[in-house]
Amino acid sequence: MPRVETTPVELSPALEAATPTQFASLVDVLRYRAAEQSGNTGYIFLPDRSGERTELTYAGLYDRAQAVALRLAERGKRGDRAALLFPPGLDFVVAFFGCLLAGIIAVPMMIPRRDSTRDVSAAILADCAPRFAVTCHDLIAGARPDLAQRLSSAGVEWLFADCTRARPDTALPAVEGTDIAFLQYTSGSTAAPKGVIVNHDNLMHNLEMIRIAFGNTQRSTNVSWVPHYHDMGLILGILQPLYLGALGVLMAPVSFMQRPLSWLKAIHDYRAEIAGGPNFAFDLCVRRHRCEQMRGIDLSSWKLAYNGAEPVRAETLERFHSTFSAYGFAANSAHPAYGMAEATLLVSSGKRGGGPVTATISREALQQHRAVSATRSEDAHRVVGCGRALTGERLAIVDPESQRRLAPYFIGEVWVAGPNVAQGFWRNPEATNTVFRAVIDGEEVGYWLRTGDLGFLDDGGELYITGRIKDLIIIRGINHYPQDIENTVQDCDPVLRRHCGAAFAVPDQNNEEQLVVVQELERVHRHRVAIPELIATIREAITREHDIAPREIVLIRTGTLPQTTSGKIQRHLARHLFLTGSLAAVQ
Amino acid sequence: MPENPSETEISEWCVKYLARTLDLPEATIDPDASFARLGLDSANSLYLIVELEEWLGVELTTEVIVEYPSIAELARYLVQHAAGGNNAR
Repeated sequence: MPRVETTPVELSPALEAATPTQFASLVDVLRYRAAEQSGNTGYIFLPDRSGERTELTYAGLYDRAQAVALRLAERGKRGDRAALLFPPGLDFVVAFFGCLLAGIIAVPMMIPRRDSTRDVSAAILADCAPRFAVTCHDLIAGARPDLAQRLSSAGVEWLFADCTRARPDTALPAVEGTDIAFLQYTSGSTAAPKGVIVNHDNLMHNLEMIRIAFGNTQRSTNVSWVPHYHDMGLILGILQPLYLGALGVLMAPVSFMQRPLSWLKAIHDYRAEIAGGPNFAFDLCVRRHRCEQMRGIDLSSWKLAYNGAEPVRAETLERFHSTFSAYGFAANSAHPAYGMAEATLLVSSGKRGGGPVTATISREALQQHRAVSATRSEDAHRVVGCGRALTGERLAIVDPESQRRLAPYFIGEVWVAGPNVAQGFWRNPEATNTVFRAVIDGEEVGYWLRTGDLGFLDDGGELYITGRIKDLIIIRGINHYPQDIENTVQDCDPVLRRHCGAAFAVPDQNNEEQLVVVQELERVHRHRVAIPELIATIREAITREHDIAPREIVLIRTGTLPQTTSGKIQRHLARHLFLTGSLAAVQ
Repeated sequence: MPENPSETEISEWCVKYLARTLDLPEATIDPDASFARLGLDSANSLYLIVELEEWLGVELTTEVIVEYPSIAELARYLVQHAAGGNNAR
């Protein structure tokens, strides 16, 4: 058996339980908080430099959410969908709980960017066919009047969460654990978005798993800047605090992107225990670190800095610690985790205070799908452990071809089973079967979720992610599908051959994923175009439509992009040719 | 920070900064090209604004990149409204 040396994990002592009651649904949680902690502040939204700080007590949240719910229940019926389109702020929280109280399925959405022409929102609306579009009046009346027209489709009724009245005799339904709470659209391409179906049972289980793994209590204030339409922002930033009865401090993603140190200042101001984000967020804090802006900031309250939604880098953890340890940030507060919307959110995690675990494995053995300790430094590759299976959940590493279970230290696809695994994809039985109903060859017990990620387990059950099978590009925690980017490229000019492009990610010098596009030219048009102009046009289209700055665009000769015999693009092979400099580039 | 930088100085600073962040040769960065054409996504736009604020000692809104969508236009705006200690909020 190949062995890997790992650094030991220290477990923190058991922490006091925060949740005395077993809840059947998030609606029960909200009613409990509104009754037991009515005057306590549940959420605070911090403004940017200008703007107002807003707060919601649990009673205030319940009242406002109920007003929205009554309006929804008056106009719609249980199981209808409501698209939620909100700028960062507490109105989203009100609308989200309004949906749940009314038994209406919430669909949190990103507000489409002004200058994109074919973003995913139209396809999401077509997929979930909402009865309502809920937003705040200010957004439509003020900054984005284009939205009303852009999103108007037959049968959708607009509703404003900030000015809502309903008939007083409207009744709200009883909500059960098997009722769908929301659809999370983070999977699938623009052309075919997939809405993960999360019901109240899934939520209750995953929120409890998070509470146990994180050692959370009512004192576990969280400061989150992650967007509310992102599963991490919603579950950890908004729902876990309510579940605990702890304060949730929210800030706009833009505030963080511009002034990441304001996030650290908020952690200090509210003595927050919990705060996190994708890996890039920690790098951004280091890059923007200014001593004079950190004066007086004490990060010693920060017990758990979760890092997930994109690959976790050992160098990032080290840089962050060496920069911020002077302000009281402890090395064992770094908390790598692994999760996805298909499992509600969290899949694996260490225990609070355990600190990160890293392993140095051989690159050569990695190619052979084995994790073996590296013996030569030039062959060494560091991977960060993402913790273990959560309470009540199982993880398996499975050969994606034979679908047989693999032993520890063998690399295969990560499969998950547990009550946090979601119900499937909305109205998509085919994809649901493939992804949510997998069976391990030779084993009888139950269905598994296929994550599409590659990794291994060590003999202590620690999960390490080493790559992915699915063609997915993750930039700043946001998933992008290569076929969407390839389509955008091929629409730029007829000289760019249809179905003959490959978009993929490569790490830069900081180990952050960067987008590379390789695209074939049509032989007949080749001499008609100026290559630098064409590249600029492609760069502009990708930036506008996908909001990614492509690192490199390579135009190649007709017929030189690797494809299978059936004409499928081999993106992995194209990536390999790019990295080894063996593409037939046209200058 | 320089004493009241000129339009040319601001423009040159932007070219240098963008060449570094976008990993492009300085010569290929046309001050009249739109930021989108240079491949400036929203995250990098925010970083550019913050760097300019720090360099010029002013506060800028996130909308300046939308309203003045090229290096040349932005530099012209900055020298008129932002540089020299005025507050450009």
